[in-house]
Amino acid sequence: MSDSRPAIEAAAVRKAFGQVKALDGVDLMVNQGSLTALLGPNGAGKTTMVRIIATLSRADAGTVRVLGFDVARQPGEVRARIGLTGQYAGLEEALSGRDNLILIGRLAGLRRGDALSRAAELTASFGLSDVEGRLVKTYSGGMRRRLDLAASLMARPSLLVLDEPTTGLDPGSRQQLWTALMDLKAAGTTMLLTTQYLEEADKFADFLHLLDHGKVIATGTPAQLKASAGADATLDEAFLALTGHATVSR
Amino acid sequence: MTALAAPAAPAIPIRFRAARDSALIAGRNLRVLRKNPGRLIYPLVQPVVLLVMFVSVFGDLALAGHAAPGAYRQFLVAGVIIENAALTAPTTGLALLRDASSGLADRFRSLPMSRAAVLAGRAASDAVVFAAQAVLLLAVATPLGFRVSDGLPGYAAIVGITVVFGLALAVAAGWFALLLGDPETAERVLFFPAIALVFISSAFAPVNDLAGWMQPIARANPVTAAAAVLRSLAVGGHPIRRASLLARRLILIPGTLAARRWNRPR
Repeated sequence: MSDSRPAIEAAAVRKAFGQVKALDGVDLMVNQGSLTALLGPNGAGKTTMVRIIATLSRADAGTVRVLGFDVARQPGEVRARIGLTGQYAGLEEALSGRDNLILIGRLAGLRRGDALSRAAELTASFGLSDVEGRLVKTYSGGMRRRLDLAASLMARPSLLVLDEPTTGLDPGSRQQLWTALMDLKAAGTTMLLTTQYLEEADKFADFLHLLDHGKVIATGTPAQLKASAGADATLDEAFLALTGHATVSR
Repeated sequence: MTALAAPAAPAIPIRFRAARDSALIAGRNLRVLRKNPGRLIYPLVQPVVLLVMFVSVFGDLALAGHAAPGAYRQFLVAGVIIENAALTAPTTGLALLRDASSGLADRFRSLPMSRAAVLAGRAASDAVVFAAQAVLLLAVATPLGFRVSDGLPGYAAIVGITVVFGLALAVAAGWFALLLGDPETAERVLFFPAIALVFISSAFAPVNDLAGWMQPIARANPVTAAAAVLRSLAVGGHPIRRASLLARRLILIPGTLAARRWNRPR
């Protein structure tokens, strides 16, 4: 696949739940190797968009291509190339961290030996080697989130989709997670994430898409969005100016 | 290049993976039971307690039309084995619904794995639990006076039929649980149909001895059919055609419905 091809191309994506329009014609592009953040207030459609990209939900209209594959028509090809860290940990609490990683790696298609060595690499990278044999239900929130991210990386995805990966974590755990995400970015992994922490988006994202009422109302680099709200404006101020909402939240 | 994003190892192509992925899911379910032995109390310990209590309290009752001593004991054990399979089946539905309601379901759905594996794997691990339950119950029932005239083949056939029947109800419970969608509601609701199925059947009394309004329901009840197959096997019968028909009807329809429900895009 050509490196110049966008990691995600979404055009005129619509999705409604009954009378509620969650997405109302979303266009989105994520370049390969970038870290792109999807921001927006409560009910803006961020999670709906992420779920469509990750093949968990189907759009009512519009097209979404991930790494060149149509999510509706080629979901298997998409799944083979993405990793997902959802809002809720995708882990079996009654198994150990190591058993979780091996299971997820093998279900992603790795042979047993590859899954074992990959699990060992990732538990070491995420500082979980000492607790890999413990049941996940005994983990702290931060450890669980790091294990969840490690699970998403078992099959070495080209695109990592993260839905509010740092929500609910203490500052130390958030910092550890961001260090890992920056390592991934440096290694060339493309990432799309939603977050309710604007300072994180400002600090780490290359590109932002601001969603409101199911539409993309602004796109640009953090600097461009801040500039749109005036000289020396913060991202919070830009967000407020663009959406009229005081805070970003789920 | 860091370890986090090291080059990919070659993956096994998806088209060869349905059986493998189902086995992985079954292995995961059984490992959860092994690492959390408290979860085996309901499917394995409680049935033995129920069997001993039922046989001790009711075993010496006379069965209308059967003068032979121990006839009701023989009748009752088959019913209790089926009763326990029926009352264990809802736990499958609950386990499936807990998976579906957790982040793990999204994880599985986002992986390039076989779409049938979660249900097939659940069925496979449940088959192991139902078989263990039936073997345990037969092991306890034999010294309590239960007899199987064909010996080991007869015992094996009883275990096999119990597994098939348990799986059929488990798959139906899975579909119903996914339809309900809420684990707390399902926990309260799923056991009612199982209890009704067991009591409006020939599990504990011949159909002709039940209240008049119950009899047509009991005759159509799969618990009655399954208990009859077990009783026939115990006296050396070979109700293969009847058993196979029962299994196909019971598993195929709810199985298809449950698979559709699990794979339905949200």
